[in-house]
Amino acid sequence: MGEEALAVATGKYTYLHEVGEGPPEAIDAHHILVRRSREKGFNLCLFTLLLFAYPTLLLFRQGKLDTLHICSLVIMALLIRLFLKKPVKKESVLILPAFGVQLETQYGSGKTIRQFVPISRILKPVLTECVTPVTCYWTLSLIIRGEEELMLVFKELRPPVKMLAPVWKALCAAIECGECTEAIT
Amino acid sequence: MGEPGKHRILMVSDFFYPNFGGVENHIYYLSQCLIKEGHKVVVMTHAYQNRSGVRYMTNGLKVYYVPWKPFLMQNTLPTFFGTLSITRTILIREKISLVHGHQAFSTLCHEALMHARTMGYKVVFTDHSLYGFSDVGSIHMNKVLQFTLADVTQAICVSHTSKENTVLRSGLPPEKVYVIPNAVDTAMFTPAPERLSRDEIVIVVLSRLVYRKGADLLVEVIPEVCKRHPNVRFIVGGDGPKRVRLEEMREKHSLQDRVDMLGAVPHAKVRSVLITGHIFLNSSLTEAFCIAILEAASCGLLTVSTHPTTMVHAITRAIYMLPKIDPQDMHNRMKKLYSWPDVARRTEIVYNRALKCSNPPLLDRLSRYLTCGTWAGKIFCLVMIVNFLLWRLLQLWKPDKEIEVVPDIQLPKSQHEETPFGSRPEKSS
Repeated sequence: MGEEALAVATGKYTYLHEVGEGPPEAIDAHHILVRRSREKGFNLCLFTLLLFAYPTLLLFRQGKLDTLHICSLVIMALLIRLFLKKPVKKESVLILPAFGVQLETQYGSGKTIRQFVPISRILKPVLTECVTPVTCYWTLSLIIRGEEELMLVFKELRPPVKMLAPVWKALCAAIECGECTEAIT
Repeated sequence: MGEPGKHRILMVSDFFYPNFGGVENHIYYLSQCLIKEGHKVVVMTHAYQNRSGVRYMTNGLKVYYVPWKPFLMQNTLPTFFGTLSITRTILIREKISLVHGHQAFSTLCHEALMHARTMGYKVVFTDHSLYGFSDVGSIHMNKVLQFTLADVTQAICVSHTSKENTVLRSGLPPEKVYVIPNAVDTAMFTPAPERLSRDEIVIVVLSRLVYRKGADLLVEVIPEVCKRHPNVRFIVGGDGPKRVRLEEMREKHSLQDRVDMLGAVPHAKVRSVLITGHIFLNSSLTEAFCIAILEAASCGLLTVSTHPTTMVHAITRAIYMLPKIDPQDMHNRMKKLYSWPDVARRTEIVYNRALKCSNPPLLDRLSRYLTCGTWAGKIFCLVMIVNFLLWRLLQLWKPDKEIEVVPDIQLPKSQHEETPFGSRPEKSS
């Protein structure tokens, strides 16, 4: 099956759209890839090393540690934990017309979590603004029949709205939601 | 929205719908009128129970219910710098040109104005209340106000008394303070279709039954008026700690048949209570701007609001004046005198003046804070320096260009657009 791909890169994220050629039943895949910043990783490593160096030196010299140095070791351990935490590599939406939508989250370790939502359960895809105590961002969610909570399409990543809009339109088309197909303002 | 002379305003206060009150109404109606004038208005407030996130109100008024939980009297916990990130995000994503804070008691308002000034935005502050000078709470509040208003671009007060009070409390130059009175939605407060019989005179009292609203005064006045005028009946609406005293007075003077205690009256039922009376009695000891008087006058009631010592005499005079009063005529006069579109036009003038003001550098602004007091001035300076550094840090961590700008929603313009002031045709351009 021949494939046509469209890629858009913005800041931290890359949007990849794969359209299968052939019958209308072809799988429509939308991927959001994370572009890892090498600078950030290097800075974190450097900071961790500096934080680790002084207490270690003190331990070798005096053979004991005071509270301040124990605190710096704890901070360092937390930073290492943060750095080694499985980062999300990619999140995908696979639209299978007449069947449903498969949501995928792929981690740096290679582990992939998949969730399938049958088309009959999806009432409507919605683009909403989320407000947290510190920031605001756009999310793409699915209104699921018989459930109070919205289902997030991209559970880990926060891609910009220009990447969410084509996914939203594709979901609307798949669910045959008439009012959705109007262009986003 | 990018037309010249059209502003993008962020209204900030801890007090907004679903809460009901003077400040909430003021923000809502002012926003609606500014939207009608072609400005973009966004409201920022804290979350109310499960009402969190972004909500849209009439005519596309966008409200950010920030998930910061209130901790005291519907106020968010003062954190100084906690709201910097969300305020910055909203200001950038909504392309705000001016920040308008409401109410001296609002923590969110003070913090947002501080952050907006740090980021170089023009700010306007509206004070809706009067405060004392002697009690601990007022002294603290006045110091906070002094800090906020030290660097405010323009200030608005709802009455001349309020302006005098604000200038004294904050040390703000009087030429920076404008007086724009509140208004009333006369479409909601219309007189009774048929004129009431004057065989029995009904005096209506609608207020929270607390000391400041003169509940203790009512305890003295009601029995005296009932003794002088056998055809007078009182309707008392409202609840509060002083309700017990009024109940006791009713029992003591055997006035159960002449004084009706309604308890708390929801805002939607205020008009239906008002139109059952002839006279509205306002017993407040202090009031920056009494909206209740406007609502009563709009319903065609004769209003009595006077010095405590002359209240009984004033009520007697009002009873004799009643035959000369035409409720519909009074309503029409109120419609002309107190309108929200007029308040919006006057506020617009303040916005235009604020935007013309120069933007002083940080050092000049810090010198203003130093004048706020020997120790307070230094603390305020330190707070502003830390805020400035945090803002710079945020800019490095998440640059402005990474914050997405929100598209403006375009509402279909019909010939007769529903407005909060009844239906009226759009002005032809």
